[in-house]
Amino acid sequence: MSREIANPFKRMMAIRGIGQVLTVTIGLIVLYVVFGFMNPVFFSSRNISNLLRQIAPILLIGIGQSYVLITGNIDLSIGSVVGMSCMISATMMTKGANPWVAVVVTLICCLGLGLANGLLVSLAKLPPFIATLGTMTIARGIAQIANNNYNTDSIGEAAQGFRDFFYYGKSFGLYNTIWIAAALWLLFNFILMRTRSGRHIYAIGSNVEAARLSGVNVISATTKAYMVSAFVSGVVGLITTATSGMGAMDAGNGYELNAVAASVIGGVSTLGGQGLLFGTVIGASIWGVLQNGLQFAGAPVAIRNIVIGIIVVVSVLLDVIVRSGKVSRKKRIVSAT
Amino acid sequence: MKKIAIVLCVLVLATTLFAQGAKEDSGYKIFLITMDQSDQHWVNVDKGAEKAAAEIGGITYKWLAPDVKDDAKQIESINNAVAGGADAILLAANGLNAVTAALKEAESAGVKIVYVDSAANFPAVRTLATDNTAAGNTAGKEMLKALKANGITSGKIGIIGVSSATASTVARENGFRKAYEGTGFQLLETQYSNGDAAVAKDMSANFITQGVVALFGSNEGSTVGVGNAIAEAGRQIIGVGFDKSDMILSLIKGGHLLATMAQNPDVMGYEGMKTAVKALKGEDVGSEYFDTGVSVLTKANL
Repeated sequence: MSREIANPFKRMMAIRGIGQVLTVTIGLIVLYVVFGFMNPVFFSSRNISNLLRQIAPILLIGIGQSYVLITGNIDLSIGSVVGMSCMISATMMTKGANPWVAVVVTLICCLGLGLANGLLVSLAKLPPFIATLGTMTIARGIAQIANNNYNTDSIGEAAQGFRDFFYYGKSFGLYNTIWIAAALWLLFNFILMRTRSGRHIYAIGSNVEAARLSGVNVISATTKAYMVSAFVSGVVGLITTATSGMGAMDAGNGYELNAVAASVIGGVSTLGGQGLLFGTVIGASIWGVLQNGLQFAGAPVAIRNIVIGIIVVVSVLLDVIVRSGKVSRKKRIVSAT
Repeated sequence: MKKIAIVLCVLVLATTLFAQGAKEDSGYKIFLITMDQSDQHWVNVDKGAEKAAAEIGGITYKWLAPDVKDDAKQIESINNAVAGGADAILLAANGLNAVTAALKEAESAGVKIVYVDSAANFPAVRTLATDNTAAGNTAGKEMLKALKANGITSGKIGIIGVSSATASTVARENGFRKAYEGTGFQLLETQYSNGDAAVAKDMSANFITQGVVALFGSNEGSTVGVGNAIAEAGRQIIGVGFDKSDMILSLIKGGHLLATMAQNPDVMGYEGMKTAVKALKGEDVGSEYFDTGVSVLTKANL
């Protein structure tokens, strides 16, 4: 113990999953430099602040998906919850509700969906893939029914404060969206790394039976993870409404898989029990840098899809190789003794 | 248990069929089948068709549509219309080949098919639609006119599309590009937003960072994204888009978008209904293709 403290680098390396986080961080830096040389505009301060704001929503849903993945489950409802949040908030605002009341109501609705996800998976023991597939469809249905099967009208001048708060405004030189993402990241990283709930979330992802036997409340921990996921998705929905100034029924379509990609690229294991939210920051950044950088490079959309797909596969492959490497090393040690 | 369920199903089906039969008028039975029910666009096609049906008189008219755009559901709607005794179907086909088998069955049952908005790879009485290439070209020319008026004769232009598989918006994009042949403008690689206004906003902001002088959006979501990005940048960038929604109109009124190309879905429905009735009466329906055109909406004519 005392030796570890004496060597901070070794102590950092002892954190599970840090290896892949460091690898992809190097990857991110390389990508960033390459894109910068391809088109110098990429390095402009204007683009950097835009880029950070483009990464923020991906990071937010990435945090949610990471929480759920760490418990060993998956949340397919993220994109639909984004759409539901967008439509509920925008509909309320077009009907004259105070934007901040709309924000609160919207987030409560999203938390309710997260609660349902958590209980279906942990209490009713439905496979998470099926349970969240169901709620994904339900949430999209709510998005459609919110304004009677229409996209909403403009949320109007009265909601300008709301639009600035979530998207267009700046504080201390950076867009508010970035601050929102950073604040929520700090909060949820603290909960995951420093609280009992966080340890329980890791524990049930590593071995749910062992966790249960050692007194972890599996239902509570799983439900908390799903509620975090639904909450951040709700926030992204609000950001979407602020961005567009209207509610769109198909907002957030497919975002759940972007969230998986951000998590997985950042080293969060789809098998549960492992992952760092710092990795999710890197994963979301790689996603954002690719979207942004390939546009500046003038790459056709097909190339971008192929590149992103390859990066997702390679980062999971890396995870699998590293894990199996560890296993075989352990086996070697066992057989040697 | 299973048997009871089957019997019940048959009974329910039979009663609905009888119920429909009881309503039957002496005139024609005409169905409108669109891609979904949610889009304002389809509501306006329906209004046009209803108006024509009322003018002609004696027509049983019904709008059938899946809740969301889905090939299987559209096929189901076509089958339901045929089973419901349709004399003619006004169809907005989901894709070129997705529903052709169902249409073949409908035709062999003696149903006349008229395409509204979008056609399939199957011969029909007539197609009434926006000529998207021509409409995109109009958008390009409107933009060019505004650029020239501002004294801009060269620069980069960004395009936000929906996806490379959406035939209508790809045609708009092609028409738009054609308007710039031989000019000093450079049209950048199209970005595809899947119609997501938030994604389109990001892509437009990236284009603006690249220093574009104008932006084009090929559908509603893309156009909203273009307008919001221009509004935020606060620069003299010409934005032209497609479709008519409250948000797009408010962006035009705010001076952030120059113009939007509004289709005329009511004309599609209206003329489509008239065509179907003519065809059923055995009259000449005119040319095989009817361009329902676009209206250019600007701040001046709103």
